[in-house]
Amino acid sequence: MKLVALRQNLRVVASTFEVTLKMTAVDSFVLFGILIQPLILAVLAIWILTPKDPTQAIFVVIGSGMTGLWSTLLFVGGNSITRERWTGTLESLVAQPTPLAFIVFGKNLASVLQSLLSMIASYALAALLFHMDLRIAQPLPFAISLLFTVFAFVCFGLIIAPLFLLNPAVQQWQNAMEFPVYILAGFLFPIALLPGWTTPVSYLLAPYWAARALHATSSGSATPGDLALCWGMMGLFGVLYLVFSRSLLRVIVRKARADATLGLE
Amino acid sequence: MKAIQVEHLRRVFKTTIGVLRRTVKQVVAVDDISFDVEPGELFGLLGPNGAGKTTTVKMLTTLLIPTGGTARVLGEDVVHHAERLRARIGFIFGGERGLYWRLSGYDNLRYFSSLYHVEPEVAKKRIPYLLELVGLSDRAKEKVDGYSRGMKQRLHIARTLLHDPEMLFLDEPTMGLDPVGARELRHVIRDLQAEKKTILLTTHYMFEADALCQRLAVINKGRIIALDTPAGLKRHVKDLAVVDVEVFGIPDENLARLRALPSVDTVSVEDVDQRQIVRVQTTEGSASVPAIVAALGGLRLGKVNVREPSLEDAYVRLVGGEA
Repeated sequence: MKLVALRQNLRVVASTFEVTLKMTAVDSFVLFGILIQPLILAVLAIWILTPKDPTQAIFVVIGSGMTGLWSTLLFVGGNSITRERWTGTLESLVAQPTPLAFIVFGKNLASVLQSLLSMIASYALAALLFHMDLRIAQPLPFAISLLFTVFAFVCFGLIIAPLFLLNPAVQQWQNAMEFPVYILAGFLFPIALLPGWTTPVSYLLAPYWAARALHATSSGSATPGDLALCWGMMGLFGVLYLVFSRSLLRVIVRKARADATLGLE
Repeated sequence: MKAIQVEHLRRVFKTTIGVLRRTVKQVVAVDDISFDVEPGELFGLLGPNGAGKTTTVKMLTTLLIPTGGTARVLGEDVVHHAERLRARIGFIFGGERGLYWRLSGYDNLRYFSSLYHVEPEVAKKRIPYLLELVGLSDRAKEKVDGYSRGMKQRLHIARTLLHDPEMLFLDEPTMGLDPVGARELRHVIRDLQAEKKTILLTTHYMFEADALCQRLAVINKGRIIALDTPAGLKRHVKDLAVVDVEVFGIPDENLARLRALPSVDTVSVEDVDQRQIVRVQTTEGSASVPAIVAALGGLRLGKVNVREPSLEDAYVRLVGGEA
């Protein structure tokens, strides 16, 4: 019986993924976050960083791609429930038998995979326009790191989306949450350049472990021990977010039913 | 087992007013209502805007937690067994929202069928059948964004039937539809009734309630003020006749004069384009016409008609002329 329910809920993840891709493929806000903004950041970073050290090119490409990943998760994934409320579909989603967590997971998966285009766009820009050498030094570990990154980011989105629904005041800080994570997670430069007191904060962010793994595997500096640590931390954070989000979503839906905030009228 | 069992259901909304000195205001939307619905019955909730109809439906469809009382739908408690109940019911709320406008009608149905765990091979047959049922087969591949209000409403009906629910909640389903669209939708509702689906319908269109519902609860200011068959409700006004007077603008003092007449029970006014129809429920039938015309003295009058009371007149009497 549980297997049947799991199969049905996984089908919901797949169909939500498909529907989200269809709807966001023509959304100019999403396209800006995925393509335009990371490209602007990539150009700036290439001008600033690569004249001193041409080997930084791949670091810049990966880093600017990750900015797209984070921005998309923050804005598209973060708003995944509140947007349903604005469009009047949240009540329809709550009043059906699939737990909301599977729907949000499908939405975030689509957003995160879509935002990997940022990385491809930054890669193409650096290779074609700036004629840079962009070899990935450790391709297989890089691919595995990317899978862990997707998992950790999607699960992170499961926490952000209900928090934004629960407390609109938190959502007001959405813009302010974008750049600190770029910096604290070491997307565009190593966190070693930051004051020492920020390091523990970085360690608490799944995007930091993702950036560390992707930068190390692309430049070829990843050791097995370091990779195991990064993958382990991403897996751990992902599972923690999953477990926490399950209770969080249940509490939030119950609160919304009590406070009559599922709809906007 | 009853399809719906509602006992002393109550819902209070709290709103805060002010920024520095915040005061909490309480609004009682549903106030201690009780009723039952039999399996296979088409039951109507009738009432003016803001009477508590939608709040009641939202509580019964698990979207809103009651402040007090209990409600069971298909034997399931709407608060404690919400997850179990959701797979067995379907609902639509009046209006255009609740669909994905950037998707086609077909894609909307395909997505909702997966949410309701309809097996893909079943959905493949059921979606074209439902599109045909609601008359949207030709436009199914178009984006919902380009649909008229009536088409969206019909797509809502198809959506709610995807998982073949045992019980349907239709909240003002014909609201805002043109007469042809509304008539088509009523045909669909009749077909569903013929399939022995239990249906709870809310409306403020009397003829719709009269034509479709087997029993009606009239709800006003959150309370049920009458519960009977349409014929039973009409008996509330069997001692009355109705005088309809067409006027072109009616000041409050004329209405007050009408209400003060000894034979007059209830007075209501309906706006029709640039004119108004004053409906006077009277105990003296055509004999009261001279006094009514005299009370409207000085106004430009159109047709005057004396007739038997309808369900609408019974409703107007029950809600005290507020309809």
